[in-house]
Amino acid sequence: MRELRAALWGVSAFSLGYLLPGTLRLPTLAYDPVARTVRFTAQVTGVAMRYYGDLLWACAAGLCAAAAVWTFRRPPGPVAALAGTALALVALDLAFYLSRFLASV
Amino acid sequence: MSVLFEGAARPLLVAHAVLGFTAVFATTHHAVSALLAALGRPAHGQLRRFGWMASASTVAQALLGLALYPAYRVRVRFADLESSAPAAVQLFDLKEHLSALALALVLGASFAGRALQPDALAAESRTVAALSGAGAALVWAAALIGLFVTAWHPVGRP
Repeated sequence: MRELRAALWGVSAFSLGYLLPGTLRLPTLAYDPVARTVRFTAQVTGVAMRYYGDLLWACAAGLCAAAAVWTFRRPPGPVAALAGTALALVALDLAFYLSRFLASV
Repeated sequence: MSVLFEGAARPLLVAHAVLGFTAVFATTHHAVSALLAALGRPAHGQLRRFGWMASASTVAQALLGLALYPAYRVRVRFADLESSAPAAVQLFDLKEHLSALALALVLGASFAGRALQPDALAAESRTVAALSGAGAALVWAAALIGLFVTAWHPVGRP
């Protein structure tokens, strides 16, 4: 089922694309709500926020991966392996953010 | 100093909450339908119907949340919670991450669920159920954390 494979690749790429820019401090779009400016930078300080940029990275990664699987018809692999990978990546993100929360309180 | 959408923060927050409840119930119904389909019960019409509702309400709720975020960050987080309730700040950060992951799972489950055929392989039905169930669980968690933090200091209140 092509839709399911595209969805699983999309979820996997979204999970990686959401986790990596923040943890590796990769450059992203940062919005300063006081100055009302948008910059492309890795150094986000003060009231500026990188959430929009990180979400954009993740959405772009997820959409590109899903579109690539949708467009290029490769021989289908086992769904269980794809599903396991996608859910494991989501679980990795959850574990990371939960551990960061628990360490901070 | 004014912050983006600050003047409309209260109506936006109410709409965000209403859409949040819609997303919670639509994703829960979708997860139950996907589970029934995985058990071999006829639920494919429900999967298509709740798939649209779940994805539309989740995307709309996320867009409103993104619109409210600058006002929350300046007027609630930095003006109050950073000093009065730092744990609530961390909890809200966790909620933002849960919401982002829920968005991907709900959209993926809705997209795949729409195409699920009554004679689909068991592994495919179970995978849609797993995606949908995980997405619904994250939407529930994000909604409860959002309500908790809003009860502390709602955006739009001085």
